[in-house]
Amino acid sequence: MQQSENKKSGLYFFTFFLAGLTLLLIMAGGLVTSHEAGLSVPDWPKSYGQWMPPMVGNVFWEHGHRMIAGSVGILTLVLTLWIQLKETRVWIKKIMWFGMLAVVLQAVLGGLTVIYLLPPPISISHACLAQTFFCLLVALAFYLSPQGIDVHFNYATGLDSENHRKLYRLFLVNTGIIYAQLILGATVRHTGEAVSFHILGATLVVLHSFLAISRVSKAGQIHPFVFRVSMGLGLVIILQIFLGISALVYTKGLPRGYAPLPAEVLLTSAHQTLGAAILGASLLLTLMLAKGLDKK
Amino acid sequence: MKTNKILAAIFTSTLLLWGVSPAFAGDVTGSVSFTGTAPAQETLNMGADPTCASAHSGPVYSESVVVNDNGTLKNVFVYVKQGLEGQNFPAPKEAVAFDQSGCHYTPHVLGVQVGQPVEIRNSDATLHNVHSLAKNSKEFNLGMPIKGMKLKKTFDKEEVMVKVKCDVHPWMNAYIGVLTHPFYGISGDDGSFMIKGLPAGTYTLEAWHETYGTQTQEVTVGADGSAEVSFSFAG
Repeated sequence: MQQSENKKSGLYFFTFFLAGLTLLLIMAGGLVTSHEAGLSVPDWPKSYGQWMPPMVGNVFWEHGHRMIAGSVGILTLVLTLWIQLKETRVWIKKIMWFGMLAVVLQAVLGGLTVIYLLPPPISISHACLAQTFFCLLVALAFYLSPQGIDVHFNYATGLDSENHRKLYRLFLVNTGIIYAQLILGATVRHTGEAVSFHILGATLVVLHSFLAISRVSKAGQIHPFVFRVSMGLGLVIILQIFLGISALVYTKGLPRGYAPLPAEVLLTSAHQTLGAAILGASLLLTLMLAKGLDKK
Repeated sequence: MKTNKILAAIFTSTLLLWGVSPAFAGDVTGSVSFTGTAPAQETLNMGADPTCASAHSGPVYSESVVVNDNGTLKNVFVYVKQGLEGQNFPAPKEAVAFDQSGCHYTPHVLGVQVGQPVEIRNSDATLHNVHSLAKNSKEFNLGMPIKGMKLKKTFDKEEVMVKVKCDVHPWMNAYIGVLTHPFYGISGDDGSFMIKGLPAGTYTLEAWHETYGTQTQEVTVGADGSAEVSFSFAG
C-alpha cells in the first residue's frame, strides 16, 4: 500500500512537472509569435532538412520551440503509459488518452501552420489547443495529488451546500470566461484584429474574477489553500492588466522598426503566458470547489 | 476588291507594328528628388547571426529610406501604370538576379515580368529563408541553407509591389514589382531612372516608394522617341 502511494505520488510530481514544462512551451510559442519567427524555418518536421539546424537569428526561437514541444510530446507519452499501468481510476486513464491525442493534433497543427504559411484559423487553433492541454495537465495533477485522490477531502467544509455550490458555479463560469478571453487574445495575436473585443473581454474577466475572489474572502471557513490560490489569482490579474495595457501601447501605439522591440517581445509573451497561468489557477479553484459537492 | 482588302490589311498591320516596334519607341528618363529632412537611417543589429555580423566591418543601415548625397531618393520603382492595355509583351527567358549577400537582399527593389524567372541566390555562409508575401500570385517560403544555392521562381499575376522577407534575419526585406510589360525603372545612387524602349504614346507613370507611397503623372513619348519626367517625395 505504501509502495503504491509512493508510485502515485511520483505520478503526481511528474504530472506537475509536465504542466510546468507545458507552461514554458506556451511561453516559447509566445516568443516565436512575438519575434515574428513562425516562418523562419520553412519546413516541418525537420528544420532546414536537419534535426538540429544552426540556431542563428530567429531559427533559435522557432527551432527552440520545436525542441521543447518534442520534449513535452515524449514526456506526455511516458505519462500516458505510466497512468495506464498504475492508475486505477478509469476516467483518468481515458482523459490521459485525450491528452496524448491533443499532443499529436497539436504537432500536426504546428506543422500545418508552417507549411500553409500561418493561416490564422490554424495558428489560433494551435494556440487554443496549447491552453486546453495545459488545463488538462492542471486537472490531472490535481486529481493525482493526495487531496485529489482522497474522495472525502473537502475544501469548503465550512460552507453550507447552497453557498458551496454557488461558489463552485462562480469559478466554473469564471474559467469559461477566461478561456473565451484567451481565444480572443489568440485572435489578436495572429490577425491583429478584434482588439476592442479583447479589451471588453478583459473587463469582463477582471470584474467576474474579483467578484469570485471577494466571495472566497467572505466565505469564512474555507480551506486556506483555496484562499491563497484565489488571492494569488487576484494579484496575477492585476499584473496582467498592466501587461495588457503595456503590450497594447507597444504593438499598436509605437512606431515599428525592422523588428519588434525587446520590450514589446517581453510584454506580449509575458501577457500570453500569464493568461495561461490565470486560466490554470481559475480551473484549479473550480476543481477544488467541485470536491465534496455531491456529499452535501 | 481583293487587292483593296490586301492593302487594308498591310496598312493596319503597319499601324499596329508602329505601336510596339522599337524603331518607333523611346526612352523615358527622369529623377526622383527628395524634399524636407531626411530621416536617420535605422542601424541594423546583426548580432543574432555571427556570419552576418562578420560580413560587415562598419555599421549597416536599413534601406527603407535612402536619400542620396545629391538630395535624391533611391529605390523608387517607376513604371507604366496605364497606356499599354491590350498589348502583349512576352516574358523574357533570361532570369532577373536576386541575391542574398552580407545578409542583405541585392537589389533592394527590382522589377520582373509576369512569367519571367527570378533567380534567387544565397551568397552567404549562413541559412536564409526567402518568404514572398505575394497577394496576387501564390505566396512562397523557401529555405536556402547552403552557400551558393540557387532557386528560380516566377510570379503569375501582376502586382506592385511584392514584399519579400527573410524571417531568420528580420532586417532583410526587398520589394519586387511584377508587371505584364518591361517598362519600368528604379532610381539609383543618383536618383535617376530610365524606362527603355517605350512605344510612342501617352502613358500614366506611377512612382512607388516603400515608405512614402505612390505618385502618378502623365508622360507623352513623341515620335522623336524620348521624354523626361521628375518626381518629388517629401520627408
